[in-house]
Parts: sequence; structure tokens; C-alpha cells
Amino acid sequence: MSDADSQNASEKTIHEVTMPVADPKDPYAMPALMPSSADRALRSFEWKDYAEPTRKQEDFRYTPVERLNEFFAPFEPSGSCEVSVEAIDGSELPDTVTVEAVEKGTAPMGTVGKPADIIEAVEWASVDSALVIRLHGVTETPVLVSVVGNDAESLDALHIVIEADAGARGDVVISHTGSARLDEVVEIVTGRDSDISVTSIQDWKDGSKHVGGHRLSIGENATLRHSVVTLGGDVVRLRFDQDFQGPQGKSDMLGIYFVKSDQHIEHRTMVVHNQRECTSRVIYKGALSGAGAHSTWVGNALIQPQAPGTDSYELNRNLLLTRGAIADSEPNLEIENGEIVGAGHASSVGRFDDEQLFYLESRGVSEADARRLVVHGFFRELVEQIGIPQISDTLMAALDARLSGDAAAIDAADEALTDHTFQAASDEAQSTEE
Amino acid sequence: MSTLVIKDLRASVETKEGRKQILNGVNLTIESGKTHAIMGPNGSGKSTLAYTLAGHPKYQVDGGEALLDGENILEMTPDERAKAGLFLAMQYPVEVPGVSMTNFLRTAVTSVQGKAPSIRTWTKELGESMKRLRMDPKFAQRSVNEGFSGGEKKRAEVLQLELLKPKFAILDETDSGLDVDALRIVSEGVNRAKENTGLGIMMVTHYTRILKYIKPDVVHVFAHGQVVETGGPELADVLEEEGYDKYLPEGSTESALA
Repeated sequence: MSDADSQNASEKTIHEVTMPVADPKDPYAMPALMPSSADRALRSFEWKDYAEPTRKQEDFRYTPVERLNEFFAPFEPSGSCEVSVEAIDGSELPDTVTVEAVEKGTAPMGTVGKPADIIEAVEWASVDSALVIRLHGVTETPVLVSVVGNDAESLDALHIVIEADAGARGDVVISHTGSARLDEVVEIVTGRDSDISVTSIQDWKDGSKHVGGHRLSIGENATLRHSVVTLGGDVVRLRFDQDFQGPQGKSDMLGIYFVKSDQHIEHRTMVVHNQRECTSRVIYKGALSGAGAHSTWVGNALIQPQAPGTDSYELNRNLLLTRGAIADSEPNLEIENGEIVGAGHASSVGRFDDEQLFYLESRGVSEADARRLVVHGFFRELVEQIGIPQISDTLMAALDARLSGDAAAIDAADEALTDHTFQAASDEAQSTEE
Repeated sequence: MSTLVIKDLRASVETKEGRKQILNGVNLTIESGKTHAIMGPNGSGKSTLAYTLAGHPKYQVDGGEALLDGENILEMTPDERAKAGLFLAMQYPVEVPGVSMTNFLRTAVTSVQGKAPSIRTWTKELGESMKRLRMDPKFAQRSVNEGFSGGEKKRAEVLQLELLKPKFAILDETDSGLDVDALRIVSEGVNRAKENTGLGIMMVTHYTRILKYIKPDVVHVFAHGQVVETGGPELADVLEEEGYDKYLPEGSTESALA
């Protein structure tokens, strides 16, 4: 066959491939070329739509399902968790904050996304009302939502909605203390141009379990800083599903955890870029100490076709302080749009850096103090980024106490968190810093 | 008057090819107020000597002793060596994120001196030392060595030398990565510390450049893990002229080894 013949032959069999182009106004009219797993994930208020979790399911791969299977079917909430709302300094709530209870079926309850797994759907089936906290205008002093558990045996369910008006500014701290077996969902929706922070602290006593999640939706050109600090509880498994209502939203999701022997602490973040020119940063850091300490961080980011100009980054760092601790860290990025500013991730699990310790020790600092300094440094910046000065020192003291392993120091630090004696703890922390 | 006596020091390091002997019987005596330059080709073990004396966990001592005023520091933990009066200024100071310089320095001075310095004298001393080293006061608030330039890291090392007031300082390639101005400022700091406290100095260096600023009393040539020649300051001039080739194994040159 001559060259000319072969050319003719190929012209007959090969025709040009045309790539389908999505209509940005209706990106899913055409089947996605590579439909992402996150796009297809089930979202339903009906708990029966979900299969019973097993470790063979992607969402429960790292979860000891047998330790939380009491949350796989609806239950009558015991009401053993008490909820109160006040200003963080103990003063009266200002006019810019309103608190009310609404019945299931009444907006805004149930308007921010849908349950993302069986645990959230079971919560929906079990509760009959929600506590709604609305922020209008500028609220200077952070609002403290205090959830105190009184019983680690009976199952309880809670539903909280935080709604911020357009242009609102303010901070909400949800503090979980005491003993509980709780399935809790928090819905957070913010209006355009608002600047809001929500910080959820889990400092449960031993024997407690806490499951559920937060569903977040950020307004156009609004900033939401969402922080999670998990220090205690036998099993804590929380997921955080977030999207945007309009362009140019900014999302920061920060997380800190300290895991001791036989605790399972799991955080799953899901950032969905469904609007153009939004920014997201996910930063989770944890330390683990003791045999059987287990942490899981799964960071999902999905950039949809209609979200050009997206800038997203996620990071998870784990410090293993002793042998026998296990940290699972899994970042997942699904990018369906090529016109983006950035989409990055970093993840690490490591021990103490010998060079750092040697450097400090060679300056006369004892090994124990050097370890304390390094871990303090590991968390300090992130604690400050949470941006609630009233709790920074108390949290830092709680982390330092855990590192020291001194039971009395841990109790004292936790007491400060439980009693919300933030200022007193702050003075103490400063004097030790000096 | 203090004395650091190194006797027949032998040390090794774990490598992929197995344990490798690096120090092959080092003998050296340094007295307070004296500056000894340890000069040698790359790979001769000079830095290993510095880190072994400071107690880096990577190096295993296989024999010999290092007596600081009669106490064998090789049996001590790194922080105990620092408390005994030894200081190592590192070639590559380590970054410690999230730990502020001021918190670190105060913790170090408190442990070395055995008690916390009073706030007033401490603030004054820190401020003055930083000013003399032309360090921006903002440095005190930054994390230890994080994001510091090469010159800034070396200044921070000398700042620690001035504040910790050791009996003996080991300077490991302190001149590397410094421009002329920074070299002068850093050297002045070392000389000032020596003048104020009468410390003895063991200066590990490949090049003679720093010796113009920090004058050695004694120069040692270090090769294949041993001191192979000792002389006065004039020995450095000979090395400057002739290089290290005559101390290397037959037929090889330093560039061939590197």
C-alpha cells in the first residue's frame, strides 16, 4: 500500500472528535464528561433512603460503625441536653440577636441543604423543633450557645439554626460539655455581605458520643469562618457540608482536635463551589496521644462547572505524640471547571521533628518543655485564627494540659471551658506564659 | 577559668550502607578566652565534631570523652550540656513554627540560668542585644527562625550566644551564607560575647574569610575525623594559599571528593 492509499483509508475511518460544551446556565443539562462522585451523592430527609452504614461504604470507611449504630434509626430524644444562649461574657443578649424555637416544617429549619447521611436524616426524623438564632446588624460580643449534657446513656437529638441577615457581623460559639449521646445538626445560612463566625467546641466527658453535622450556605460576597475544636468524647463524628448562594463568597473552615487513647474523632468537610469567584480554605490540625487514639479527616472539595474563578485550598496536619495512635487523612478534590484560580491540598501525618526538638534542647530547654513548645506552636496560630480572643487562652490551656498528660491540669482547663470562665483562665494562661 | 578537653573522641552515624565511623580519635583542649579554628576539607567530620559535642541524637559516641571542667558532657542530655555551659551556633538553624522568639529565648535563658530573669532587666538586655545586632524589634514576635533569611538566622544564633552566656561556644560554619556586612555584624557579636564573658570558642570553618573578623589563637587542620596539624594563626594563611589537598588521601583532590 502506498502512502497515498493509507492516507485515504484513514480518512474513511477516522472522523474528528468534538467535545460537547456545557451551557453555563444549565451545566448539568448535558451529562458531565466525568460525573463526580460528590455530584451523585445521596441527599435526603428520609432516613430510610440510606442503607445501614458499613465500613464498605465510602463515607464510613474510617468509622467504627459498631460504636455508633444506635444513631442509625430514629429515636425519641431524651431531652437530657440543656441548651442556653447568652453573651459570652455572661451579659444579656443585645437587640441584634434574637432567639426562638420553631417547629419542624417552619423555615428556616430544614432550608439549608438536605441531610447528607443517615445520621443527619435520623436526626431530622427524631427532632420536632429547632432553636433558631438570628443575627442582625453588628453584634460585638460573641454569642455563646451552651449545650450541657447530663446523661451519657440516653439518646438525645438537637437542631440549631443560625441565620445571619445581609450585612450582619457577629460571632457564635457553640460549646458542648458534660456527658451526652447526641445527634445534632446545625444549619448556618448567611446573607450577602455578612461577616460571621461560628465556632463549635466539643469538650465532652469520657463516655460521651456526638454525631451529626453542620450544613452551611454562604451569601454573596459574604465571609463565614467556621471553626471546630474537638477535645473530648469517646466517639465524635461530624460532617460539615458547605456551599455558596452567590458569587465572591469566602469560606474558612478551621479545625483543631486532640485525641487520646481509644477515642475516635472524625471530621469530614465538604466544600462545594457552586458559584463563581468564591474562595475556600480548609485547615485542620490534630494531635494524637495514646494507644488506640484514632482521628479521621476527610476533606472534600467539589468545583462545579458553573464556578469559574474558584480559589480553594485544604490542609490537614496530624502530629502523632506516641506510638499506637492512628490518623487517617484523606483530601479529595473534584474539579469540573478549568477556569479556576487554584485548587490545592496538603496532608501529613508525622511524629515530632527531631531537628526541632534538638534545636530547642541544645539551648537548655528540657525535652518535655521542648515538646510542649513545639505542640503549642503547632496549634497556636490556628487558635488565634479562630478569632475569638475570649476563648483563645482557654483553648490553648486545654491543649497544653492535654500535652502535659497531667490529669489535674486537664480537669482544671476543662472546668474553665465548662464554666465559661474564659476571662479567669485567660489571666492564668498569661501568667504562665510570662 | 574553664577548660574543655576532648580526649580520643570517636563517633559514628547510621547510613543506608550501615554504620559509618566519622570521628577517629579527636584530641583537643580549649581554654576560656581562647579561639580555636577547626579547618578542614568537606566531609572531614568537622560538623560531626560540633554536633557530637552538642549531643545530636544522630551521632553515636563510640569512645573517648569531652570534659568540661572535669565533667564528661558526652554522658549528658543536650539540655544538660547547654546548662553546663556549652553552646552550638548551627550552620542551618531550625525553624520552629508557632513558637515566638521572645517566648523561646526567655524559656532558654530561664532553664540555663536556673531562674527566670526579672522582666525589667530581661526586656532591656534583649532590646539592647538585638539593637547591636541590627535586628528589627519585630523579630522578637516572629516564630523561631521561620521565614528568616540566612543572615537573619545567623544573627539570631549570635543573639542567643549573647543572652545564654555559655563557657564554650561552637560556631559551625557561621560565615556561610553571609554577605560582608552581615559577616561583620555577626563577628562583632561573637567578639563582644567573648569580651564580656571570656568564653572559649571553637570555630568550625572551611574558609579563612571569617578569621579576618574573629581572630583565632590556634588553628587546627581537621581531616578524616582527626586533628592532623596544629599551629598559630599563620597556619590559616598557608591553607588559604595551598588548600587542603595535602591532607587528602593520595591522588584525590577536594573537588573530586565533593
